[in-house]
Amino acid sequence: MSPVLTVEGVTAGYGRVTVLHDISLEAGRFGNVGLFGPNGHGKTTLLRAISGLLKPRGGSIRFDGQDIAGLSARAIVGTGLIHVPQGNRLFPDLSIADCMALGAYSARARPHEAENREKVIKLFPKLAQRWRQRVRTLSGGERQMVSIGTALMSHPRLLILDEPTLGLAPKIKDELCASVLEISRGGVPLIVVEQDIEFLLELTQQLYLVNHGAVATEIKPGESLDHGEIMSMYFGH
Amino acid sequence: MSALAEILFGGLFQGSLYAMMAVGLALVWTTIGVFNFSHGVFMMLGAYIAWQLVELGLPAAVAFPVAVVVMAGVGWILQASVVRPLIGRPNIVLVVVITTLAAGSLIENGALTIWGPRSKQIPALIDGNTTIGGVGVSLHQIAIIVITPLILAALWVFLNRTRLGLALRAVAQNEDASHLVGLNVTALYGLAFAIAASLAGLAGIFMGGYRFMSPVMGSDPLLKALIVVVFGGISSISGPIFAAYLIGFFEAACSYYFGLYWTPALLFGVLILTLMVRPEGIFSSRSRGLA
Ligand SMILES: Nc1ncnc2c1ncn2[C@@H]1O[C@H](COP(=O)(O)OP(=O)(O)OP(=O)(O)O)[C@@H](O)[C@H]1O
Ligand SMILES: [Mg+2]
Repeated sequence: MSPVLTVEGVTAGYGRVTVLHDISLEAGRFGNVGLFGPNGHGKTTLLRAISGLLKPRGGSIRFDGQDIAGLSARAIVGTGLIHVPQGNRLFPDLSIADCMALGAYSARARPHEAENREKVIKLFPKLAQRWRQRVRTLSGGERQMVSIGTALMSHPRLLILDEPTLGLAPKIKDELCASVLEISRGGVPLIVVEQDIEFLLELTQQLYLVNHGAVATEIKPGESLDHGEIMSMYFGH
Repeated sequence: MSALAEILFGGLFQGSLYAMMAVGLALVWTTIGVFNFSHGVFMMLGAYIAWQLVELGLPAAVAFPVAVVVMAGVGWILQASVVRPLIGRPNIVLVVVITTLAAGSLIENGALTIWGPRSKQIPALIDGNTTIGGVGVSLHQIAIIVITPLILAALWVFLNRTRLGLALRAVAQNEDASHLVGLNVTALYGLAFAIAASLAGLAGIFMGGYRFMSPVMGSDPLLKALIVVVFGGISSISGPIFAAYLIGFFEAACSYYFGLYWTPALLFGVLILTLMVRPEGIFSSRSRGLA
């Protein structure tokens, strides 16, 4: 399989600070991709550069053959690359129904609105019960469901999740993991950033360790490492 | 009876004008997070453009809507030139106070140069007078009292019942998330300014129909609109609307019982007390976001 997303030599940062140093990786060749690494080393920044929230200073990002580096976030949403940001802040004073309508805002997603809404409700039946409730009044787990549901409404061809289990209890984590696996089985490739290695091993086939704004190690399928080895890479030797 | 009628009528009338102004200020604050200090100048410009069009021979029924549409364009351009380039700066609120004040003073002086200092008046919406409850009132003022709630209701329906309105409310709450669902954030910022400027322009047309116009006619209404949004809370548009009418009634009652002279002092007294008890305004929650 050829890669769905190719990041090549991307440099990016904020103001005078450079966070990503010439980072390169591929996604979609071996299934889902997991990114992990210490806090503050640029995982979120990489995702923001991919989805157009942050303009990369250099390098190329190809999605399905099209160079998307430097396109607006809106144009990138239009290609079907959908990013669920870290921290599920979402739209605090909007209802779940409103969020779903916003997810389907782009011209590409609108024709599929009804069909995607059904998918979301099937995947997260809890949301249907709280359909008119404001996001700010939902629990952390429910909010994460709304985040992912909103992304599904955007009719993704590639779904990027930034720390979906952040702050969730183990039981909710497992439920969420099952739901995300279901999305993946439905034919949407994933890129997942996670601190929880178990979660990543469950969901993804290929892993990248991001360290100091670059890829420190790549783990391809077949080279599967055990948990201990990954932890020791994580914390350095 | 006539005391009550006078207060009721005066309150409804002033409240309408305040609401029309304050709602635009609140709309811009909630969507973009900045205060637009050229909002009063929008009011003046709307009135002068309407006057000019009438002067050129257009009937008021054409001139007024055209002026309102032109004001939407003015709002859009002002946003694109002195607000949009600054978005993302850490101290944007203060910087935009200065840039919009500067742009406002430029426009004000432009108006003075083009139209001169002589007071002008534009046609009333409806000519004539009548008496209600023993109080003599003009049909123009009655028209304003009737039209304003309709326009505000239309704005509410637009914000709460349409997809584009939903997008405006979304941008107000989370800009990154708005980008990530594919909203055109810059266009929505422009739209917020355009709507605000149209409403201010319309308020100017209302005002120019019963009072003499001058290039500085917008500064007092801007001050009042600021008081209204501080009083009503700025995190929604319904808060300022209620506050506008409340202040309208308060002023009407004060000037009836204590005289016009004491009204501003009393108003500020109540405002300060309100802010001490509820710093976020009386009708508002602490968050930013349209509702
Ligand atoms: N908006 C910003 N402005 C300035 N610096 C930022 C901004 N966002 C992130 N940074 C900095 O960029 C660096 C990388 O942050 P990033 O959020 O990409 O890390 P991360 O790997 O996602 O961390 P975590 O695992 O904690 O989410 C950090 O040093 C952070 O302080
Ligand atoms: Mg992060």
